[in-house]
Amino acid sequence: MALLELAHVSKRFGGLLAVSDVSFNLDRGEILSMIGPNGAGKTTAFNCVTGLFPITSGSITLDGEPISGLPPHRITKLGIARTFQNIRLFAFMTAVDNVMVGAHWWMKERVWDGAFRTGRARREERSVEQRALELLDLLGLSRYAGSYAREMPYGLQRRLEIARALATQPRLLLLDEPAAGLNTQEKKELMQLIARLRDEGLTILLIEHDMRLVMEVSHRIVVLDHGEKIAEGSPADVRTNPRVIEAYLGTGASNEMQSA
Amino acid sequence: MPDRFRSLFRADTGQGQRTRGNTVFWILSSTAAALVLMGWLLPWFVDAYSAGAGFSPQDALISPPTGVGTILIYVLAVTMVILVASPLVEPLARLRGTTFGRRADRIRLIAALVGFALTVVIWFLVSVIQEEPLFGSFGPGTYTDSAVWLTMYGYALAALVYGARPWVVGRQTLAFGIAVLPFGIFLPLMFHQAPDFLDWAAGSLAIYMLLALGLNVVVGFAGLLDLGYAAFFAIGAYACASFASPTHNIHWPLWILIFLGAAIASLFGAVLGAPTLRLRGDYLAIVTLGFGEIIPDLATNNVFNLTGGPNGISGIDQPKFWFLNFSTSPRWYYWSLLLVSLVVIVLLRNIERSRVGRAWVALREDEVAAASTGINTTTTKLLAFAIGASVSGLAGAFYGSIVSIVSPDDFSFSVSIAVLSIIVLGGIGNIAGVILGSFILTFVIFWVLPNMNEWSTTLSQTVHVPGLAGIDFSSYTYIIYGLALILMMLLRPGGLLPSRARQIELESGGESESLAAVQGVA
Amino acid sequence: MSEYKGPPAADPGALGVGTSRGGSAMLVAQSGLAPRHGRAGGILGGLGPLVRLLQGWISTYFSLLLLGMMALAIGLTGVQHGVTLMGEQIKNALVLGAIYALVAIGYTMVYGIIELINFAHGDVFTASGFYAFGFASLFHLDSLATGSFGGLILALVIVFPLSMIAAGVTGALIEFVAYRRLRDAPRLAPLITAIGVSFLIEGIMLVVEGPDNVTTHMASWINGEAFSIAGVSVGYTDLFVIGMALVLMFALGAFVRRTRLGKAMRSTAQDRTAALLCGININRTISATFFIGSALAAAAAIIYSINYGVLKWNIGFHLGIIAFTAAVLGGIGNIVGAGVGGFLIGIIYVFGGSLFGGEWSEALIFAVLVLILTFRPVGLFGVEVTTRA
Repeated sequence: MALLELAHVSKRFGGLLAVSDVSFNLDRGEILSMIGPNGAGKTTAFNCVTGLFPITSGSITLDGEPISGLPPHRITKLGIARTFQNIRLFAFMTAVDNVMVGAHWWMKERVWDGAFRTGRARREERSVEQRALELLDLLGLSRYAGSYAREMPYGLQRRLEIARALATQPRLLLLDEPAAGLNTQEKKELMQLIARLRDEGLTILLIEHDMRLVMEVSHRIVVLDHGEKIAEGSPADVRTNPRVIEAYLGTGASNEMQSA
Repeated sequence: MPDRFRSLFRADTGQGQRTRGNTVFWILSSTAAALVLMGWLLPWFVDAYSAGAGFSPQDALISPPTGVGTILIYVLAVTMVILVASPLVEPLARLRGTTFGRRADRIRLIAALVGFALTVVIWFLVSVIQEEPLFGSFGPGTYTDSAVWLTMYGYALAALVYGARPWVVGRQTLAFGIAVLPFGIFLPLMFHQAPDFLDWAAGSLAIYMLLALGLNVVVGFAGLLDLGYAAFFAIGAYACASFASPTHNIHWPLWILIFLGAAIASLFGAVLGAPTLRLRGDYLAIVTLGFGEIIPDLATNNVFNLTGGPNGISGIDQPKFWFLNFSTSPRWYYWSLLLVSLVVIVLLRNIERSRVGRAWVALREDEVAAASTGINTTTTKLLAFAIGASVSGLAGAFYGSIVSIVSPDDFSFSVSIAVLSIIVLGGIGNIAGVILGSFILTFVIFWVLPNMNEWSTTLSQTVHVPGLAGIDFSSYTYIIYGLALILMMLLRPGGLLPSRARQIELESGGESESLAAVQGVA
Repeated sequence: MSEYKGPPAADPGALGVGTSRGGSAMLVAQSGLAPRHGRAGGILGGLGPLVRLLQGWISTYFSLLLLGMMALAIGLTGVQHGVTLMGEQIKNALVLGAIYALVAIGYTMVYGIIELINFAHGDVFTASGFYAFGFASLFHLDSLATGSFGGLILALVIVFPLSMIAAGVTGALIEFVAYRRLRDAPRLAPLITAIGVSFLIEGIMLVVEGPDNVTTHMASWINGEAFSIAGVSVGYTDLFVIGMALVLMFALGAFVRRTRLGKAMRSTAQDRTAALLCGININRTISATFFIGSALAAAAAIIYSINYGVLKWNIGFHLGIIAFTAAVLGGIGNIVGAGVGGFLIGIIYVFGGSLFGGEWSEALIFAVLVLILTFRPVGLFGVEVTTRA
């Protein structure tokens, strides 16, 4: 059974149908990319999956359980973590604190534990901090553990956002344009990171404009245009799909596709 | 205003730690200077309580002491001049780009120690041995104990500040605590000759400090503007009044009532917060403002015959523990409030550094990201609201017992604004700042202003200016609140003692979009 | 065109990151990969769907519910106290509503353009009442106005523009000094400053005008009964108050719709950056908004003074909150809505008072405010819009 299933999902803003009757499945361990021109409704679809927007119609299920209509934090608890297109870190928290916020929902410490600093609370704080530092280390951020998120270089901020998402112990990771603004080297590292996450068993839904990255890491690709799904299939299929080339790529961008 | 002038008053954001330490240092050193000076001037202000004058300069001018011991007083004056001048000289030196070296600090340290020792010696000679020949006209009753206490305190503080400057700059919160705590503890002893000062300390300073600590959780930690905070204060006070007065013939002891007041107030906080905390920040502000107006309205209209209408509830019990009779002196109230405040401070500080505290910061910075990272925004805000309300309710229970009569007028909007002004003045989100703010603001509003009427009347008689007599200085309260809020927000949004992150946040203006706005709920 | 090679194999070392510490360290918490169930959290969590359904239902029909309850209140008053009193109360509600409407417009314009609850607006109202009082005594307008009809017109022609300009300048000055520098600061900062300005103005009025009611004598300006229907006597004052409010509101409507400045205001309210890029002088537009809002508050204060004849240093505070409720009721940012909301709030205030007793009127208004914000924050006539994606 599919891990994530979108069935006939639509989202309407006033008169604008941002996502229209989109359906697709995401299997366990798969990397699915969502591509499409700007304003095609990719991020809106993300926001619907993570509960930021209530959907107008259709259904979204995670592991067979409906999640549409749940508030964002409940969806995170069910195992969906995400990053944002325009980085949304807690700018004035340290990197390690940012990651520790990701552990918020599964920590057992209650208010009174924190208030009286019980042994249990201190032990848990320590182990969570340990885990956060480990995550930072694995992502090559340990040098910045103590600095404010906004003092970090842009590329590392993107990576920190992934670390925060991983701290929530997700089953499914949603990456919204993780390569935006990265240089070639950083993109290469990102690609390896995604591959590693896949190898460790994580399922990934990816929005990305960088075709080289999309083509290399994805198992399957979904193409959106004007809120509608116009194609779905393996990278090779999508690349040769005439509808994609016509509707999405246009004339100028098709060269980019060819070179990828 | 040129930047270099501004840098005198405003901690530099670029190199936070160092200049911020300097701010604390400057506050402490100028406090020491003020205390040394105040100790000398105080006999003049409080001569209603003591027969004559004391270590005050003008008395020395009017009837200079004539004995050999006078030399001691002039040496003391030299130490005073050094210590009063240094906090003024230092920023000036910074303006000119020169810095004072270690030697200057050593001289000041010596001055402080000498001053301290001389104060003790003179006090001992004058009051205990009554060495008339040494000081000429000086004698018992010509000084006030408070003056001696304050002077000694000022010298001790100066010794700490100049003797351990790197430590003060490095661990400023701890330094601030060490500097303030003895003052807090000894306050009733220092001013035992001035009963209304004790009333102020217990009924205004300590109560408002508790209130501000509670509001700081809501505004400072969680970033929610609560303008109806006095409502929870009222609820605590009325709870105390109902369960410890002849009105319903229930007489429970205070220490139960403070928990009861806290519990009831936090319950109200949760009930109010549950539907409204989803709203955007400014809507929340106006809803809480409305709530703050409704609660005294309900009390005035004597809802369910519980509140005694506009006259309120009177005859609230004065607690008696064992041999401590609270009704004889407000000092026992003051000390119990101090103890409670210390417990509250420790607990709040722990919470701030725990899982929940982190969630509050996350919410304040980016509600959308926080929600997507697994934080339940509504319950986390509700928690801040309920904790803030419970501290307020606790303060309310104490307040009811102290004043022994509660009426709706005690809980007007201006109380909420007073508490807000305290935290804005002191430093939003910083407990040390809140303590400083509550001292400064309550001192000005509830001690200086009421006394100004009397002082100006006296002054008008002395200098024969009839215009000075009729001024009602307490009507300036609103202007002071207003100016405090405006000036702090415009010039130093982090407050006098800013919490580092909060200061950058308020000054840099990263706008956090609320979850409600994104979801289209509000 | 390169061939599709499929995802590259994971090579942690190549990340250029420190994986040296214990090769077994995992990025993905393996325990987290197991299925989880979204059990409803806590007691309230179980009620979630029900509460949401109820809330949705109330939100949808909020306008109907509120209007229905108002009609019921008016009807009940008629049944309980007779038709004459009902008519009398309707008249009072309209008079009060006219004042609220004028003040509410100031709130709504400012909120619409810089998203700030201008707490000081209610106090600008009071201050301009005192300005008018000051001008009236300065030019001896009281005797002029009571002398003849022409004198009355002259007095009004003198006092309205002068006070409105003075109030407008006050409002624009407040914006310039207190709010402009905080325009891009976090929301909390200008909000706190606004409260500060409110307290400062109240404090100054308290010191200057004293703590007691101040009689302005303007109540004697307009006298006499115009007509009476079913025993309800309608005075010239009532007609003047309502008529003046309506004229000003229509004038404002025309101004915002027709003039360049009005268009600049509307575009700045919609998107400040875009307006700036179109060459609109944002600072001047915002100043003008404050000027106009405050001038309308001054007009409201004058008709308040003519109708009730007394002012007090702190009347603006409560009146301001009530007017703000009116603005929220009409949909904040919506000028027409604020006008209508003002009259609706007038009805709620007066009839709530006659049903539950006058001491409850204010509590009732606050309750209405809480209810609107909880269930229908877009106001009675607003359409729910989701902002940016």
